[in-house]
Amino acid sequence: MSTTNTIQPGQSTEPASIPPDAAEMEKLLNRPPADRRRSRALKNYFSVSLLHLVLGAISLVMVLPFVWMLLTSIKPLGEVGSTNWIPSTVDTVQKAGVPVPRNYVDVFDYNNPDINHRGIQFARFYWNSIFVAAWATFLQVMTSAMAAYSFARLKWPGRDRMFLLYLSTMMLPGLVMMIPNFQIMISMGLVDTFTGLIVPAAFSAFGTFLMRQFMLSIPQSLDEAAEIDGAGKWRLFWDIILPLSRPGLITLTIFTFMGNYNSFFWPLVMLRSEAKYTLPIGLLFFDSSQGQATHLLMAAVTMSVVPMIVLFVLLQKYLVKGIQLGAVKG
Amino acid sequence: MSSSRSRTIRNVGAGVAFLMPNLLGFLVFTLVPLVFSMVLAFSNWDLKLHNQYKNNSIHFIGLDNFIRLINEPNFWKFLGNTLYLMLLMPFAIAASLIAAILLSKDLRGGSRRMWATLLLTAIMVGSLLLLMATGQGRSGMVIMMASLVASIFIGGALGGQTVYRTLFYIPNFTAGVATMLLWKHLFNPQSGPINSVLRGPLVSLTDVVRQSPSSLIQSGLWVSAGLIALGAWFGLRRLRKAWSDGDYGSNAVILSAVFLILPAVLAIFWSPVPLVGWVTLAATVCVTLWQLVIAIRGRDFHGRPWDGVGSSLMTATSLMSLQLVVLGLGIACYHLPAMAAVSDGLTPPNWLTDYDWAKPAMMLMGFWGAIGSNNMLLYLAALTNVPQELYEAADIDGATRLGKFWNITWPQLAPTTFFIVVMGVISGLQGGFEQARVMTQGGPAGSTTTLSYMIYSQGFEIGRLGYASAVSWMLFAMVLVITLFNWKFGNKYVND
Repeated sequence: MSTTNTIQPGQSTEPASIPPDAAEMEKLLNRPPADRRRSRALKNYFSVSLLHLVLGAISLVMVLPFVWMLLTSIKPLGEVGSTNWIPSTVDTVQKAGVPVPRNYVDVFDYNNPDINHRGIQFARFYWNSIFVAAWATFLQVMTSAMAAYSFARLKWPGRDRMFLLYLSTMMLPGLVMMIPNFQIMISMGLVDTFTGLIVPAAFSAFGTFLMRQFMLSIPQSLDEAAEIDGAGKWRLFWDIILPLSRPGLITLTIFTFMGNYNSFFWPLVMLRSEAKYTLPIGLLFFDSSQGQATHLLMAAVTMSVVPMIVLFVLLQKYLVKGIQLGAVKG
Repeated sequence: MSSSRSRTIRNVGAGVAFLMPNLLGFLVFTLVPLVFSMVLAFSNWDLKLHNQYKNNSIHFIGLDNFIRLINEPNFWKFLGNTLYLMLLMPFAIAASLIAAILLSKDLRGGSRRMWATLLLTAIMVGSLLLLMATGQGRSGMVIMMASLVASIFIGGALGGQTVYRTLFYIPNFTAGVATMLLWKHLFNPQSGPINSVLRGPLVSLTDVVRQSPSSLIQSGLWVSAGLIALGAWFGLRRLRKAWSDGDYGSNAVILSAVFLILPAVLAIFWSPVPLVGWVTLAATVCVTLWQLVIAIRGRDFHGRPWDGVGSSLMTATSLMSLQLVVLGLGIACYHLPAMAAVSDGLTPPNWLTDYDWAKPAMMLMGFWGAIGSNNMLLYLAALTNVPQELYEAADIDGATRLGKFWNITWPQLAPTTFFIVVMGVISGLQGGFEQARVMTQGGPAGSTTTLSYMIYSQGFEIGRLGYASAVSWMLFAMVLVITLFNWKFGNKYVND
């Protein structure tokens, strides 16, 4: 957690520390007698155990719904309402020599009329989501980084006023813009297209703000040095600033990707044809069309949640940093 | 001279060129829609009246949309729903603060030996449960739970803060349609695990309620009335002290006092025994007058009228939420004997399909996700910035843990809290659409329809574009008030 502070410009996090020898002296002077030391250690043991107990209990509450989800996703339909979470048998199908729980095969197997009479194309939804999220992320990170470069490293009249305008739009409720934006999409003929999903997501005040925060912390002398070497603005941006703001780029990439992967309102109003549904819309559709098939739905939910959890566990360092930085000045 | 001038021009050119892609998008998808939406709000554009078959003209209707909106009872109901759901906020913020404080403690406990002991404890707990389980019928379930608990403990003992933090944050990270669908099925009255867990304890509770005299249980209503008055006293006393010290201005105190007295007023309307409500109100009024007398007899107030309004409102509204919960529990106590007297006894609620339980169910889900939210991470970062010397000084003065929290941690975290509260209010006003659309479709009978869902259903389902825009501008106005409030008082509060 302490690493988060290193990015913030002009903020010293080092507490005024006593020279080590003086601290050592103080420790010796304040040393409690032996019997008190032991009771303190014992108390410490109890308090730490208690702490683990409380934290463990909260963790359990956090995890249990997911455990139920996982276990239900491999159950046969008849056992869904059972108080026993463990399935009595797990029906598996051999796929490429590996046993796969039948429910997961059924979710993807949209040609099987017995299970999936409405032809839900789960694999398709998956691909759509990733496709849209990847494009939107790429574009948003690019436009944000460029705008942030302009705001953080270039000097031009009216720059700071412009940035303030950007900042203030972050406070606007997105809902106000939804209806007009939809009308704009209709007039551009982009309803029910991926372009209509990607393009509005390609610009963001938040991304610009976040990237600016990162770029401000890069020493200004680099720009001057590069300029003396005869590098243009674009080369400076592409070869020096962008590589140096990599942690920021990664953070923004994760944020944007997750945001678009989970995006619900906009795809819900924009998408008409089932073949273009993204995962959240597809899941909703799955639930409303076969609400009774809880076991299949849970397999689908697992399939959409597990990649997120894995991604989070792998990349959480950047995320935590980004969230804490993004709120420094709202 | 000329070279520096051409450099400036080049700089402007580069600055604008780099900004251009983003600026274009900003203009097309933010600024234009904003103006467009404003125009829409004053028009009668309705897709039912203006389409390829019916070509009525779209024209300005002035404030008609807004007048219609204010006269529509549903608007007020949906606004009420939105505010109801926001009552979760103080609890969510408190939970994430507690989680952050717990996580910021040194989990290693210093010695390596203790670490090993802890690990052994975890394994022993696990294996003990395993042994217990082998003799029982539903062994699988117990084994699973025991190994789950043991693995959490082992993970926690080995990884410390990071492991717990990750586990806490997962619900927030995965939040979305998938988790909402998961909760929808967890809440399922027949097959959901929540109700199957609740059923057992409720049967025994039914027995207890049936055997004990009903007047005893119903007196819970009186207890809650006392607690509400006590809460008002506690809050008002705090306000009064800060008022005399000059921390809070008089307007801030009056505004906050209104929130503290509000639950007592609501008790008159909601309490099944009107007398209880009146007594609560009387007690609260007495407390108010008492504090007022003390305040006036004390020294003069040197705070400016709006000083400390953010902090005092935060305290007052948090206490108010607590009072309202207590009131709800008291009313539940009153109805309990009658509910248990039915042949089925007490049964778990129908959650999302029940008019009264749908909102609490959503709040429960929200609470689950809110403990380990971004707020927790913000608090964690803020906690590391609290100067350690303050605690050391307090230790020398012999301060208690609670004293250290209220006098050091809480004031030091105030800027973070203020930021979290403002952001929470802004997003809370706009919130509730996703869960309503996924879990209840705004039902039953509109009990989970929030303002954002109203905009969606009016604008995109019914097609009243002008009317929906008017709703969105009402929402915008509310958000703007909060934002202005933040600008006016936020900085001052943070600098104090």
